[in-house]
Amino acid sequence: MNFWLELSSDSFIAAFFLYCFGFIFYMIAIGGKKWSNRDSKAHVKRWGKIAYIVSLLGLAAHLLFFFARWYGSGQIPTSNMYEFMTFLGMAIMIAFVIINAIYRTPLLGMFALPLTVIIVAYASVFPQEVQPLIPSLNSIWLKVHVTTAALGEAFFAVGFAAGLMYLLRVVDFKQQTKEAKRAQRWVEFTLYVLVVIVGFIVIVFAFRGADYHAEFMQEQVKIDSRGQESTTTETVEYTLPPIFKPYNSVTTSMDSFLGLQEPLLETPSWMNGVNAGRKFNTVIWSIIAGSILYGLLRLLLRKRLGAVIHPYMEGIDPEDLDEISYRAIAIGFPVFTLGALIFAMIWANIAWSRFWGWDPKEVWALITWLYYSAYLHLRLSRGWQGQRSAWLAVIGFVIVMFTLIGVNLVIAGLHSYAGV
Amino acid sequence: MFQNTKCECGHQNHVGTVLCESCGKPLGEELLSDEPLEMRYDGVARRSQKANPNLIDKIWSFFSSVKIAVYLIIITLLASVLGTIFTQENMLTEDPATYYEMNHGTIGKIYYMLGLSHTYNSWWYITLLVMIGTSLVICSLDRVLPLYRALSKQQIRKHLRFITRQKVVYTGPIEGSEEQFVERIAEQLKKKRYKVHTEGTALLAEKNRFSRWGPYINHIGLILFLLAVLARSIPGLHMDMYVAVPEGQTNEIEGTEYYIKNEKFTVNYYTDDELPDSLKGTARPKLYETKAVLYRCVEDCNELTKEPVLEEVARHDIVLNDPLSYEGLKAYQSGFDATPRLELVKPVLINKQTGEEFGPFELDIRNPQTTFQVGPYTLNLRSQYMEFAYGSNGEPTTLSREPNAPAYLFIITGPGLKEEGEAYLYFPNQIDKLQFNQDALNRSIADRFEIKVNGMENVKLSGAITYLNIRKDSAVPYIWIGAAISMIGLIMGFYWHHRRIWLRFDQGTLSLGAHTNKNFYGMRSEVAWVLGKAGIEVEPKSLDNGGNKT
Repeated sequence: MNFWLELSSDSFIAAFFLYCFGFIFYMIAIGGKKWSNRDSKAHVKRWGKIAYIVSLLGLAAHLLFFFARWYGSGQIPTSNMYEFMTFLGMAIMIAFVIINAIYRTPLLGMFALPLTVIIVAYASVFPQEVQPLIPSLNSIWLKVHVTTAALGEAFFAVGFAAGLMYLLRVVDFKQQTKEAKRAQRWVEFTLYVLVVIVGFIVIVFAFRGADYHAEFMQEQVKIDSRGQESTTTETVEYTLPPIFKPYNSVTTSMDSFLGLQEPLLETPSWMNGVNAGRKFNTVIWSIIAGSILYGLLRLLLRKRLGAVIHPYMEGIDPEDLDEISYRAIAIGFPVFTLGALIFAMIWANIAWSRFWGWDPKEVWALITWLYYSAYLHLRLSRGWQGQRSAWLAVIGFVIVMFTLIGVNLVIAGLHSYAGV
Repeated sequence: MFQNTKCECGHQNHVGTVLCESCGKPLGEELLSDEPLEMRYDGVARRSQKANPNLIDKIWSFFSSVKIAVYLIIITLLASVLGTIFTQENMLTEDPATYYEMNHGTIGKIYYMLGLSHTYNSWWYITLLVMIGTSLVICSLDRVLPLYRALSKQQIRKHLRFITRQKVVYTGPIEGSEEQFVERIAEQLKKKRYKVHTEGTALLAEKNRFSRWGPYINHIGLILFLLAVLARSIPGLHMDMYVAVPEGQTNEIEGTEYYIKNEKFTVNYYTDDELPDSLKGTARPKLYETKAVLYRCVEDCNELTKEPVLEEVARHDIVLNDPLSYEGLKAYQSGFDATPRLELVKPVLINKQTGEEFGPFELDIRNPQTTFQVGPYTLNLRSQYMEFAYGSNGEPTTLSREPNAPAYLFIITGPGLKEEGEAYLYFPNQIDKLQFNQDALNRSIADRFEIKVNGMENVKLSGAITYLNIRKDSAVPYIWIGAAISMIGLIMGFYWHHRRIWLRFDQGTLSLGAHTNKNFYGMRSEVAWVLGKAGIEVEPKSLDNGGNKT
């Protein structure tokens, strides 16, 4: 490994820990408000500043990671899932810095930071080595399209963070009305989903640490246009114990886990993405690990997570949060249009000889765009603000994440090489 | 219903006007409320708001509704989601009629029967796009014209209630002369790049009005884009075909006057040294390249008997991401086939009984002669099959025009054979010969005669075949123009904000109202800054007159 790549991976670790510390300091800033021995305003200001500076240092390390890896490998690090997700994390930090410069709300970092931490940690689940470019990716548009699209999505992520903050601020967990209860349930569910993602990262690293391994031979039957059947066999490797084995496969080898010697179930046949079985198995594991983690948190706190966070949000002007969420999306929308649609079309026209081919990834980029244009019309022309707008921002980010990850998970297509 | 639309200031407004177009006094129901004013489109009547609508007005009114537009967007969104559930037909190499049921069971069958397997070409999806286009045109026209009218003839002195019911409001007494205050504040506003108009002690400051046109410019771009997309279905504007060109050959691009030559095709793979550990030993392609030459036919193009006269017009090394381009015609690297294929064989005819050998004769795989004279024997080519197979009726047939399994049916006449000749089916490929059991097919003649190639020196293999995608798409430039206009509109609309500030004095009290179409947070801080410079210190937040912000 050359010097630059080594520097790059060291910076990555530094960035990750700085982000974690930034998040912890933001928590101190907010959590310490109610400590009796100090002036709460000065406390928030001081710790908010420390947290912000630490986060900026994290971003600096992250930028170093990015450019050192670019220089060291000779290709922009945005060509596989690891590189793309780390870039997305970096873009979220950049979007956060921009929005923070406009609004100077110290507590936005409280939500932007954990989001970045989760995304960066998620990225490191994927293989980190530099993979030389395949011919279809060898283009200037790889740089232009992927970076702008990710930046647009990063603004949507900040919009999501502010939207979620808004909901945690205004949804009163003490109210008993039917409407309030429904809002409480959904806020709690959103937090649960975030915990599941953390659970995924924890479980992957736990089994990686234990060096777990299982292997399957998967048979895939294909029928070509002449009606001739051909069978191919592929080796599928698992690093998590197989609750679900790949569709139509036999076990070659499998480490025992809690007395489990054979896979319990088989992945349904309609999941036809690359390595669908493995990914589906991982999703199931994430839900199990996330649920356990969530259960532990509930046991520890004896309250719903939303009810725990809600009191700390007091003192933040909800209308500011509403505005920040909207502004982030409004800033991100043109960037997203340019990067994820226009640049994508230009590149597709050069690489695949058509500007639009209804590839699932393309369609989902269009769906994301349609969704946010509906959001903007509802907000600007139909006056959807406050809670409704915040929910739309939250759902919007779910769609963004599905476009980025879900499409690769369940649907096969031309962008499948973006996964692993 | 009779509605008095005349304002107290004397201005006659259109039906549906919310704020007097002249002085800004709230009209109708707006008059009764104390909430911040509904400032959308400056309170002017939209074109669709008519007293006695006829059918066209009703259709216009339907499409002019933003609610309808949002519904259309959501329906299109959901329809698009449906289309990604299973692989679309155009991505399949299999027969769609059986594919969905075989791979996805009953759900797949229903999916296919509902036509969701070609969602994006379906009439209803295209109808949705057309409806969105209509909505774009009508929504925009309905609003932009009245808005333009309202913004181009603004009154400086606004009604007091208009000012105090803005979302950003300051009221309070001032010290010193009113005229001097207006002068001071005008100076500060100019520093913030406002255009300032005064009328006595009333003031109107405005900036970035152009940002209001952003959404409409964006919509114009989108309409152009949609039109260009729909125009692609008009025949003639759009060409999309694939040519397979073996190395060293020149093929006609059907339907055009062009020919394309594959001088050399190269495929490179990464070596293990270049690959990370996990990928070592895998064939990771590094480069596909076709050295291509494009010719234009200048003479004898459609003469079957003569060779066309070609003139070189372009030469390019086509790689992925870098097509050959000549006058709107583009040739893209699409695929390749490096499997060696026969190009020419030199077989001999053997009389098995005597052991005599006749020939060899030259058999061009793609373009064979029709008769061959070898020694005393005459071989008449009766039929040729490029990819031999049995059809559904058991008769021999060919599956394609590519020589994947070539076979030739000769009628051989000469010594030791029946007078009318005997049929002999010849497979140049050894593997086909065995697979289709050549000797059994030829029956008795197989015992006496044989056509075969002696050694590899009598076989010429063709080089790798490159597959090129030839495209001509006249609509594409309009796509880019549409996208560019749309982008300009988006930037104008989202990164600049139209801001206006009105102020007036009533018995020594200053009333200041401000409005922006986006970002009230910024508007408040700007007003607070300007007031501060003019001697009135206020917290930006205190200017908030409540109500929702956009």
